[in-house]
Amino acid sequence: MAIEFDDSKEKLRRITISGRLDILGTEEIATKFSALAASAQRRVIVDLTGVTFLASIGIRAIITNAKALQQRGGKLVLFVGENASVSKTLDATGIDDLIPMFANADQAEVAALA
Amino acid sequence: MVSPVLDSIVTLSIRADASDVRRASAWVEHVCREYGVPANEIARLDVCLNETLANILAHGNHAALSAPVILHLAVHDETPASEAIVTVSDAGAAFDPLGVLPRARPKSLAEVQPGGLGLQMIRSSADRLHYRYSEGRNQLSFAVRWSSSSSLDA
Repeated sequence: MAIEFDDSKEKLRRITISGRLDILGTEEIATKFSALAASAQRRVIVDLTGVTFLASIGIRAIITNAKALQQRGGKLVLFVGENASVSKTLDATGIDDLIPMFANADQAEVAALA
Repeated sequence: MVSPVLDSIVTLSIRADASDVRRASAWVEHVCREYGVPANEIARLDVCLNETLANILAHGNHAALSAPVILHLAVHDETPASEAIVTVSDAGAAFDPLGVLPRARPKSLAEVQPGGLGLQMIRSSADRLHYRYSEGRNQLSFAVRWSSSSSLDA
């Protein structure tokens, strides 16, 4: 698992997660993910294009951080690009109705900053 | 290439811990590839397997966590539809996950409660589910099906 962030755009943090977001993978990144999502910028894009497997525990980590950010007046959106397996999982669980999900990077950025 | 048929069942014994969940996934993928199961169906089995094992790890009692978890895998290569079936067997207290009513989907982030997602993912990924409690073990089976033509494309 890998988790990186990019603060090069003002007021926006991009968190990129890659690898297998199963039990082990989620445990590996959970602490850093929460710390990064508690961004001073309060607008966050989580890039899941490099996630090869998304388990419910990984979805719960995303939901927890999205909720926490929302409670602080921030916003978290998901960027999935062409990652069909991840978008299918998020769609099947209805998470895309709760957290905005985008295949297009520009649209994700506009939505995060809106 | 004609895929060999695995009508007999292959078995793997794992520990009830997170590292062995990954080992189980790798095993299912390896065997399924060997027997011509399409990638999309392997991915669906992987979801069911991970969520079933995650439930055992999260909710299993001492017996469930201390005894080996047994996986059985069978592939039936038939025309017009083939099927791969994984059965996960654990020694925990009897619990039928298929008897749990699906939760209503939350309408907002604030309404989201923990739990229930895994079962939802199993239900949406499997084509067929079966549970039984036998000889002191929970046995949850999940099957995926595919048409013979899609197997050739995989």
